[in-house]
Amino acid sequence: MHLVWKLLRQHVSIGQLVGFFFANLLGMLIVLLSIQFYQDVKPAFSQEDSFIKNDYLIVSKSISMVGGLTGQSTSFSEAEIADIEAQPFSKGVGCFTATQYHVYASVGVSGGQGMSTDMFFESVPADFIDLKSDAWRFSEEEGIVPIILPRSYLAIYNFGFAPSQSLPKITEDVAGMVKMRIVMRGNGQEAVVSGRVVGFTNRINTILAPEEFIRWSNARFAPNEDASPTRLIVRVANPADEHIMEYFSEQGYEIADDKLDAGKTMFFLRIVSAIVMAIGLLISLLSFYILMLSIYLLVQKNTQKLQNLLLIGYSPMSVCLPYQLLTLGMNALVLLIAILLLSLVRSYYLDMLWSVFPEMEGGGLLPSVLIGLSLFLVVGIINVLAIRSKVMKIWKNKE
Amino acid sequence: MERIRLNNVLPNVFATRTDISSEIWKSEVTFERNQLYLVEASSGTGKSSMCSYIIGYRHDYSGRICFDEEDVRAFSTSRWTHLRQRSLSHVFQELRLFPELTALENVLIKNQLTGFKSREDILRWFEAFGIPDKADQKVGKMSFGQQQRVAMMRALVQPFDFLLVDEPISHLDDANSQIMADIMMEEAHQQGAGVIVTSIGKHMSIPYDRILHL
Repeated sequence: MHLVWKLLRQHVSIGQLVGFFFANLLGMLIVLLSIQFYQDVKPAFSQEDSFIKNDYLIVSKSISMVGGLTGQSTSFSEAEIADIEAQPFSKGVGCFTATQYHVYASVGVSGGQGMSTDMFFESVPADFIDLKSDAWRFSEEEGIVPIILPRSYLAIYNFGFAPSQSLPKITEDVAGMVKMRIVMRGNGQEAVVSGRVVGFTNRINTILAPEEFIRWSNARFAPNEDASPTRLIVRVANPADEHIMEYFSEQGYEIADDKLDAGKTMFFLRIVSAIVMAIGLLISLLSFYILMLSIYLLVQKNTQKLQNLLLIGYSPMSVCLPYQLLTLGMNALVLLIAILLLSLVRSYYLDMLWSVFPEMEGGGLLPSVLIGLSLFLVVGIINVLAIRSKVMKIWKNKE
Repeated sequence: MERIRLNNVLPNVFATRTDISSEIWKSEVTFERNQLYLVEASSGTGKSSMCSYIIGYRHDYSGRICFDEEDVRAFSTSRWTHLRQRSLSHVFQELRLFPELTALENVLIKNQLTGFKSREDILRWFEAFGIPDKADQKVGKMSFGQQQRVAMMRALVQPFDFLLVDEPISHLDDANSQIMADIMMEEAHQQGAGVIVTSIGKHMSIPYDRILHL
């Protein structure tokens, strides 16, 4: 075979092949990187909220400047709540109940006094919280309050507070291990309980505690305060139902649209990834075109040699083979180096992503490697067939 | 393969000509194994076309060419490849050697396909043909006469039932053409093969069984 290769490598243009190699490497890398990045970042935006299901809507009244000045109430009356309950899309309405007394919480860091703040709690009926009942429970004897925090609080801590105070970043798991000291004052009494973070949510912008705790503590520290709700949680059959939006905007209510924000981000992420991938594919396609042109030119220049080989008894397959192996080898090398570079670049950006989304789990290299392999296969098959058809033309004496 | 039969064959380029008087075109000719044929022709009468038709390189003719009663038009690519490796050998008029390879490599490139002769056998031929010093020289740097001998060696490193030799000695002196004829006939006899030699004038002095005029 080496004599055949010695013959057929005549006119192989190293310049063209190097040009193809780098162009294809760039294209392949961009394609794989866009897929990989999308895969890696996607979970951070599409994270399922395990506590509050998607078919729950959080409804509040809009706060206008005039309303704020005139003291117009932003709380829901019983009649309004009953009206929402009566709507056909509604499958249940729960009220947010807030603490009506003074709450002071502190978190100890390494035994010392870390952060402390005035705060409050709110609750929704327990059947709106998708958490095992024994984890979402308060008993006076144990004195431990389970708490669900908005996920943004963790981000504020990790990116605002922790770096400025040289404190370590914490993940959701670590946050669950931190104990909070909660001091409650009101009605001439004071009590101390422990708080424990049991989860984070993107859906509700409040600090949630079990309803039984709020009821118990309100009764003890603020027995005379009226706790009419300012926010409602509504379970709906289909969140995409347009009647829901119609009804709420007619009533002048607002629906918390954090879900929508994540959706928008995902949408843009998808578009950006698609554009980048399209550019990568275009470069790959052009480089593939260069390779095909280069091989065609090579076959053209070596037509006489190929013809002679065929006439002295070489089969079309055996004279195709050197060129097919050449292109397959080049493409395989490109794929291999692209995957190597991809894992390098990925380890670099994953470090950055992890600092932004500490709880993010990387998607693994498999999807992009599979896409790379399928691209390689498609391109390989086209290459092999194109070379074969070119040689068959020579066989049929049509070149 | 026992015989090659040309039945009413006419190159397409001659289709409009009415003045054809040939013992091959528009006739019935059968070439048999173990026979030695000379096809004499003037230039432009389609001598190389006939070789191209038999070797399966061109099909621009009317009529039928049959190998043992099988029409060659129906042959597949792999059938032709097999025939060119095992049954049909051809010394091309234009030689079709590879100028980038040495003389020896030009022979070996065929022999590695058939494994028919040993390297020593081939080197002995180089001596017999009087060009032992040329084995490692690039063919492109050799004279046409020397190249004709290399082309003959390449045609002989395979088993064949028929050997087509298209003007093999046009650039050889009498002594060298006799050497070539002897080696060729020795191989052909060993294999019991039929030999078809073409010529436009000068031809090998060997006892032809039949001489045909194209």
